[in-house]
Order: sequence, then structure tokens, then C-alpha cells
Amino acid sequence: MAFLRVTTAVLLVCAARLGAQTGKASEAQVKAVFLFNFAQFVDWPPAAFPDTETPLVIGILGADPFEGFLDQTVRGEQLRGRAFQVRRYRSVEEIKTCHILFISRPAGDRLDEITASLKNRPILTVGDDDGFAERGGMIRFVTDRSRIRLQINPQAAEAAHLTISSKLLRVAEVITPTGR
Amino acid sequence: MADLRTVAVATSMVFTLGFVCFTQPGFAQQPDSSLSGEALKKLSIEQLMNLQVTSVSKRPERLSQTASAIQVITQEDIRRSGASSLAEALRLATNLQVAQVDSRQWAISARGFNSTTANKLLVLIDGRTVYTPLFSGVFWDVQEVPLQDIDRIEVISGPGATLWGANAVNGVINVITKDAKDTQGLLLSGGGGTEQHGFGTVRYGAALGSRVRARIYGRGFDRDATMRTNGQDAADDWYLGQGGFRMDWEASSASRATLQGDLYDGRISQPSPGADIAVSGGNVTAKWSRTISGKSSLAGQLYYDRTHRDIPGLFAEDLDTYDVDLQHGTRLGARHDVVWGLGYRLINDRIVNSSFLAFLPAHVARQWFTGFVQDEIALVPNRLHVALGTKIEHNDYTGFEIQPSGRVNWRLSPSGTLWAAVSRALRTPSRIDRELFARVSADSFLAGGPGFHSEEELAYELGYRHQQGSLALSVATFYSRYHGLRSLEQVYVNPLAPDTVVIGNGQDGESYGAELTADYRVTDRWRLRAGYTELRVRVWPNPGSTDMSRGATESQAPDRQFFLLSSVDLPAHLGLAAWFRAIDDINNQVVPAYAELNVTLTWRPTSKVECSLVGQNLLHSRHREFGAAASPTRRDIQRGVYGAVAWRF
Repeated sequence: MAFLRVTTAVLLVCAARLGAQTGKASEAQVKAVFLFNFAQFVDWPPAAFPDTETPLVIGILGADPFEGFLDQTVRGEQLRGRAFQVRRYRSVEEIKTCHILFISRPAGDRLDEITASLKNRPILTVGDDDGFAERGGMIRFVTDRSRIRLQINPQAAEAAHLTISSKLLRVAEVITPTGR
Repeated sequence: MADLRTVAVATSMVFTLGFVCFTQPGFAQQPDSSLSGEALKKLSIEQLMNLQVTSVSKRPERLSQTASAIQVITQEDIRRSGASSLAEALRLATNLQVAQVDSRQWAISARGFNSTTANKLLVLIDGRTVYTPLFSGVFWDVQEVPLQDIDRIEVISGPGATLWGANAVNGVINVITKDAKDTQGLLLSGGGGTEQHGFGTVRYGAALGSRVRARIYGRGFDRDATMRTNGQDAADDWYLGQGGFRMDWEASSASRATLQGDLYDGRISQPSPGADIAVSGGNVTAKWSRTISGKSSLAGQLYYDRTHRDIPGLFAEDLDTYDVDLQHGTRLGARHDVVWGLGYRLINDRIVNSSFLAFLPAHVARQWFTGFVQDEIALVPNRLHVALGTKIEHNDYTGFEIQPSGRVNWRLSPSGTLWAAVSRALRTPSRIDRELFARVSADSFLAGGPGFHSEEELAYELGYRHQQGSLALSVATFYSRYHGLRSLEQVYVNPLAPDTVVIGNGQDGESYGAELTADYRVTDRWRLRAGYTELRVRVWPNPGSTDMSRGATESQAPDRQFFLLSSVDLPAHLGLAAWFRAIDDINNQVVPAYAELNVTLTWRPTSKVECSLVGQNLLHSRHREFGAAASPTRRDIQRGVYGAVAWRF
């Protein structure tokens, strides 16, 4: 009886608070801020911005893991006079103008296909799958002991004519893909 | 009635703690928590990387883990719980049965079959098996890993025999210590109190070149005696000194190596003069891993472990263990992830026998050869995965043994995963089963059975894991059938000969139950971790067996247990944690049900200093957790209070 009562109490408390709120510095929120910050550390070739009005587009390929934080983060922000825009894609074919592309988990499984069809387009690819950077992705979020580290594959970025600032490279783990 | 009341009082205390704190506004800002989106944007990349993110316990990446009843105890949980030893910290995993026997001995098992010589659990510390071939169990008094150095403890209940080493019949405990890069600088900590008389640790970590980080540590403690059931001091107080090091070398982004080791020496008092128990030992482990490409990785490990235990007049042992393991993982095509490995272990065990207790032969060298292979098949990538594998082992007692398993992991939604597993696991013979000879009384003997073979388990498991926002929930259910469990067979010689009991495989059994856990971050400052386990174990003698114990000597575990850890960050850099546990009675030992509470108050005036005040087992001045009612070695565990201070430079 006593055990039942205790368990019920716990479940009630959990149920009452469930959905009411989520952690404020959640993993999703911090990753959203990282994505936004990357724009400052990457130089795109001129062709990536056809005119001065072109916004800086952050795309999400596949399911959106950011719980709305990405839209919230870039709202009203500008970089060198350009506005930010968030777009969501179901397939690679839908991607037209895009500067930073987050490839979320289910889509990340077909990373080889995705990188093949993006080949040499100046899009910074970001993901959090295991081996993302080794398999041709440019930046991977690694959640390690409650902190987010970065792995960067500069070769993949170079191939897409992107220049990643040494300031960002310095704090990241540099990945050199081997065997391909 | 008294128990019911205690439970109710304790529960309301735990909850009030949380509610009182959170219904009152006006909290001081804590670092790293409750940062707004705007504040986050002002941080530099370095600051973002240093930010503690509040993701709920990370989803284990390997299917062998996701399709199993895994619980993870983090460093933060250990720190908040106020636990003072590894064994005590293991109480945070409700899928374990943990009972303190006396000042130094613990009975720890998963899914029942608990005893002071529990033999169905595999315990690894940084990949090193801490196991005695005497009874396939663990001497917990010499597994004193410094708690500050632990990164996390993964506890898997249920068979893990396919991927892990021998003995993983009912569970695996995997203690993982921090990388040397996470323990840089100087740490001084120490304290004392009523049950924890005194303890201190010095740890220093530094860089040796640009790619090598190292740490060294030294520690010691002195713990108070427990109490006899008649209220007299049990005179089992003890002390232990330990030191060690760890070096991590990041040779490149794809390859890394670790070298680590420990040395310890301790003395355990006994009531009769000159009978103090001496324990000492040491170990050294070298590990190396390399990612060959995005699709393939190779890892190797080598260790040596030495342990010495001297119980004057009864028994002394010197054990050397040499072990080497190699593991290779590779992706084949788009759907197959294959892992395979090979292992070899050699033990050299030397016993000094007495007229009461003997292992014959006294000196043995034994070896184990193991190999395993597992293929994880993505039937529907990222949604439905199946893993099939087997372990093949060769041991000197029973020759070749095969332990296969099949696991399915089905991701129903981004937040929910259903899993199921069927496994065969074996508890292979240990020295006690075959080579023991003990004089129980003047006219009775207990002897190992020369024909003792492996105990067999067939386990069926079904579980569900749910993770949404700041809540993580997990339920694991299981049914296991055991064949050939250890039995005590009465052997009739003639009316004048002494009674002889021989160890046999005369019992069968079954166990079933459910393990629930929840981890919930109610707010940024209030965290709850709760667990509840229901367990039934039934053991019966097979036809022809003369065992009368009905499992009483094999499984001593409560039918249910519950725990709740509630921790809150308070204003003025204070933190308060309450850790409540309620354990049902162990009826075959007549250990009554009990409930206990630990409370920890911490104060962190700066990020470099932490002071804490811990109350252990506060609800009763003394209580008992284990030991048969009639046993002269049954002990009472006392309430304790201790204070501790830690400085980081």
C-alpha cells in the first residue's frame, strides 16, 4: 500500500508538470544559437548571394529538432545588412538558396546521397549523427558530458568553396576523413 | 503500521522540499541555468561550448544498450546523493538490489539471486573486470573508486553475456571514470563524521605535452564499525589507503590511448585480537582505440590485476589476473553493423587453506578464451533494428559454452522506443562450486561438487523508453527461467560418518518483474529521479535433489523497492538533496522492510569551493538490511552524519 501511494504521488507530480515547460538552456536551444553563430565564422563565395537583398538562409532537412528555438534565435537579426531566414525541407531537391543546412537524424542516415547531390554547392552542412564529419558533413555537434563540442571537417568545406574562420577551427576538433 | 507511517512522513518531506522552494519567487540567478535566448546569443563560441546543457540523460548509442534495461548514474547524481562509497552510489540504480551487510561488505545483485557471494553480476571498472574466481562475485571493500573521478555508471539489468564478459547473467555494472582532460588542476577534499570517521583525497591533473593529459591521486578513509543486533559495537571498523594515475593520449582525431592504474592497502578490524583482515592490491590497464574510417573501428585492451586478502586463521589468497581483449566494429553495406571481438584471460590463484575452509587444489592457474560476434541489422533504418549475436567461451571447467541473444529496437516515434530481447546466459563454475571444502560444524562438512556444471538462464525481456523534453521514463519487464541452479545436496554415507553436503545443480527457478525509472527536470533548479522495482524469484528442487533450501541460500532479495532523489538549487549558492528509499522485507532471511533517508546540504560560495553536510540513514538510529535472522554476523547499520569540504585550484 505504502509503495503504491508513493509511486502514485510521483506520477501525479510528473503528470501535472509535464508539458508545462521545458528546460530553458536546453540542448536544442544551444544548438540553435550555434547555428546562428556559424554565419559569422564562415565566408561564402559571392555566388551564394545573388543580390544584396538575398537573406542568409538556415535550412533544416528532415524533422526539425529545434522546438521553435531556431526561428526565435534569428528573429530580427542581421549580418552585414542581411536578414536571416529559416526554411524547412523534406528533400534535397527542394533546396534552392541555402547557406547553412542542418541535416537532422533520419535524413542524416542517407548522408552519402545528400552530400553527393549537394556536391560543391556552397552550403555549410551541420549535423549531430555519429561520424557525421567523417562521412563528409562539415560540422558535427557532439554532446559530451552535458556540453556541446564541435567537430569540423575543413576538407569538405573547402570542396564547397567555403572558408571557415580559424577562430572556429581553433575551438573545434578537426576531422580528416580517411579511406575515401 | 509503523513502516507505513515512516514512508508517508518521508515522502511528504521530500515533496515539501521541492514545493516550498518553487512556489516562492525571487531566486538568485544561478550560473549556467535559466539563460534566455537573448543572453545565449551574447555568448562566445567558447562560452557556448562550456555551457552545461540540460538534455535529459543521453540516449545510449549502441543497440545492445538501447534494447536493454539500462540505467545511467551520472557524476551529478552521485554528488547530490551524498553517497560515500561506490557500493552506496549503486543504490541510485533501482534495477539493482543493494544491501549493506556490515561496515565493509555489501550484497549487490540484479534481478534477485542476491547474497554476500552474489554470482550473476559482471562488474567492470574502466573495462577491467573486478571479479573473484573464488565465487564469481565481487569483494566490494576493495573497489573504492574515488567518487569524484567517476564520469558515469551504466547499470544494465538482464543478461549482457553476448557482448560483455563472463558472469553477465543478470546484469552488468560498468563504472567509467573521467578522462584526464576533465580532471586538470589540483583538488583537495576531506571531511569526517560519525560513521565516516575521516576521509581525504588529493588529486592533481596536468598536461604532459600538447596531446597527453594525466592525473594522479591519493586518498584514504577510516570508517566506523557497525552494530551487533544486541546493540554492542561489532568492532568491524576499517581503513584503506589508495593511490593511482590515469594518462590519456589523443594521438590523432582518430586514435587515442589510455594508461591507468591503482594501488591500495587496507585493514579491517575484527572483534578477536590478532584477527584483523589485511587487504592490498593493484592494477594497471592499457587501452587503445582507432577509427580506421567512418565505417570501421578497432580497440584493444590489456590489464593486470593483483589482489591479496588475509583473514588470519581462516583463509588467505593471492590472485593475479592477466587479460587481453580486442574488438573490431565495421559497417557492411547500408544495413549491417558488425562487431566482433576476442579475449583471453589467465588467473593465477594461490590460497592458504585452514582446517575450517579450504580450496583444493590450493594453487590453480586457469584460462578463459572468449569470442563474440554481433550483427545489428537496420530493417527500417533508424526505426526498426535487430541485433543477433553470440558469445563463445572456453573455460577450464566446462569447455565450450555458447551464449546467444537476439534484440529488437523499434522507434515508435521520435520520443518513444519499444524494445525486446531473448537471451541465453550461463553462470560458469567458480572455485567455490567445485573445489571448496568447509567444516561447517564438528560433525558436518560442505564440499564442492566435482560434476558441477554451468547454471543456465533463458531470459525474455520487453521494455519501453520514452524521452520528451525534460522527462525520461523507462519501463523494463522480464521473465527468466533458470536450469541447474546451485543446490546443497545431502549425501548419506553411514549413520556414524559426519553429515556431508555436496554442491550440485539440483534446482530450477524462475524470476519475473518490472523495473521503472523516471528522470524529470521539473524546473532548471529542481530535479527528480525516481525508481521502482517489482521482483519475484521462485526456486525449487528438481526430482532427485535433496536440497531443502528452496532458494534461500541462492536468492535473498526484496519483492519491491522504491527510491526518490529530489535535488534543488537554492538561493545563496546552496543546494539541498533528499534521497529516500523504501525496501520491502527479505522474507527468507527475516529482514524486515525498511525506509531510509539521506539528506545533503551543499554550499558553493565560489566555483572553486564546495562544502557539504550529509545525513545518512536519518530515519532510524539503526536498521538492518541483510543477513539471516539467526546469523551471528548479522549487523545493524547506524545513522550517520558527516561534513566535507572540497577545493579546486
